[in-house]
Amino acid sequence: MHIPDGFLSTPVWAALDIAAAPSVAYIARRAQRGFEESRAPLLGVLGAFVFAAQIINFPVGPGTTAHLVGGALLSFTLGPAAASVAMTAILAIQALVFQDGGVLALGTNIVNMALVGVAAGYLPYALWGGGPRRRLAMFAGGVLSVLSSALLALSELAASGVKMSGGVLATAMALFFVSAILEGAITVAVIEAIERIQPRAARHPASPMHLEKPRFQRSPLPAMIGLAALLLSTVGVLLASTQPDGIQRLGERTGIAARVRMLLHTPLSNYHASFLQSDVGGKVLAGLAGIALVYAACVLVGRAFFRRAVVRNRSI
Amino acid sequence: MQRAVPRSLASLDSWSRGSSALHRFDPRAKLIALLALLVAVATANRSIPRFALAVLLFLVAGFLWARLPVAGALARAAVILPFVAVLAAVLWIGGQGERAWALAAKSYLSALAALLAMATTPLPRLLGGFEKLGAPRFLLEVAQFLYRYLFLLPEEAQRMRQAAAARSMRPGIREGFRAAAGALAVLFARSYARAGAIHHAMLARGFNGRFPEMQTAHFRKADAVFAVVASAVPWGLRLL
Repeated sequence: MHIPDGFLSTPVWAALDIAAAPSVAYIARRAQRGFEESRAPLLGVLGAFVFAAQIINFPVGPGTTAHLVGGALLSFTLGPAAASVAMTAILAIQALVFQDGGVLALGTNIVNMALVGVAAGYLPYALWGGGPRRRLAMFAGGVLSVLSSALLALSELAASGVKMSGGVLATAMALFFVSAILEGAITVAVIEAIERIQPRAARHPASPMHLEKPRFQRSPLPAMIGLAALLLSTVGVLLASTQPDGIQRLGERTGIAARVRMLLHTPLSNYHASFLQSDVGGKVLAGLAGIALVYAACVLVGRAFFRRAVVRNRSI
Repeated sequence: MQRAVPRSLASLDSWSRGSSALHRFDPRAKLIALLALLVAVATANRSIPRFALAVLLFLVAGFLWARLPVAGALARAAVILPFVAVLAAVLWIGGQGERAWALAAKSYLSALAALLAMATTPLPRLLGGFEKLGAPRFLLEVAQFLYRYLFLLPEEAQRMRQAAAARSMRPGIREGFRAAAGALAVLFARSYARAGAIHHAMLARGFNGRFPEMQTAHFRKADAVFAVVASAVPWGLRLL
């Protein structure tokens, strides 16, 4: 599920990089806030634990094994924000050191696995983790975290023009569904085994010692609606990719297609600044301007978030 | 990934501690050049085979300049190929055969470029470069710790697996599943305890809550020249 560079189209990876940078900055702040400094070693070591966990194989059938992915497990033991930071560090190390996932695609992979994957994994636990359906909530968290990451990755590829026939898509979905179920089962089994060693390892979602204010607890509706909207839209993109003709006809009839095309092509239209008609210099300049633009956007939005977070800290 | 994690890591780590001119450039200059090359590769859409070959030669020249084993590097970057092959096959089935080749080539070259940047910059310095470019410090500290214990914890997991095999454990699926969960739980508990011990050791050595600057490097004129030239080359190659 680590998308390599090359397969995503420029609007997709650039948009997700720009979305991921301030989100990660904000979440890093949040994970760090109001807690002793032992967090960085803890998150780092548990990140290395997730790497090491890939070596322990879980037998799941004759000759087949699975391994822990870890997003949901980390969110139950560290809290969602810290789990997101740890997963982000894991993805960055994987992209840089192991070439597992692209560097330009890093933002995409972070959104899929560290942000949405962790949030989706934590949501059922936040809702039912304190009650009698705790096991079920942990299972659902494992399933949802893998499933949402996989659906997002598929739809991003589809949006980048990787056409998937119905058969391929069905196979991929079936595989992802099975691995999602396995992740749920493995997460529950590991958490229960951990709790036999350290009874309080998994945080009680509503307890006061919990790192973040359990916002979901007060109103789970926005989070659930957000997640549902996200998943529905990814399914929409996937359906659109299998039946491009039907969607196109619909789009042309309603006039949306033209508008979308304009939106997608306006910024630095195809990396070709229109005011520079000469091909050679124009392309180079447009490309470099594109990089600068992406970078500036990341830094500016990141700074804005940072400042707000700092100010809020002081006022408390 | 499996068995080879610590060994391949160690080789990359020793590569990154070379002393060529490429090693000595500021990490920021290398990151800028890397991003420029990646964007050039990602957005290329005409005459891909020629462009890909040119970029490949450019990167090989980089590895030679850094006095690193070219064959080893080419093989190392090939670890992404199995996954890329799956994606390429999907494109192929969808009737986009030519595009499949182009995208696979782009993926491989991007991985090779990232590898060159990594193999000439020790990770702590690279993270220092990220910090100067504005990445959140806390995240980089976590990544630092993660990298450090990446040498240790997988080895521990490996030992646990070997120990289980040495006890000639041939469990059924149900018991095997539970045994694996137990092993992971032990590994988790040990990791957790280790993090606490690390923190105490840091405090004992006078850690005051802030890490010292990761690296006090100056962005020299040579770094700027390198960044500009190395960024311009792939874009120039695109126009060939």
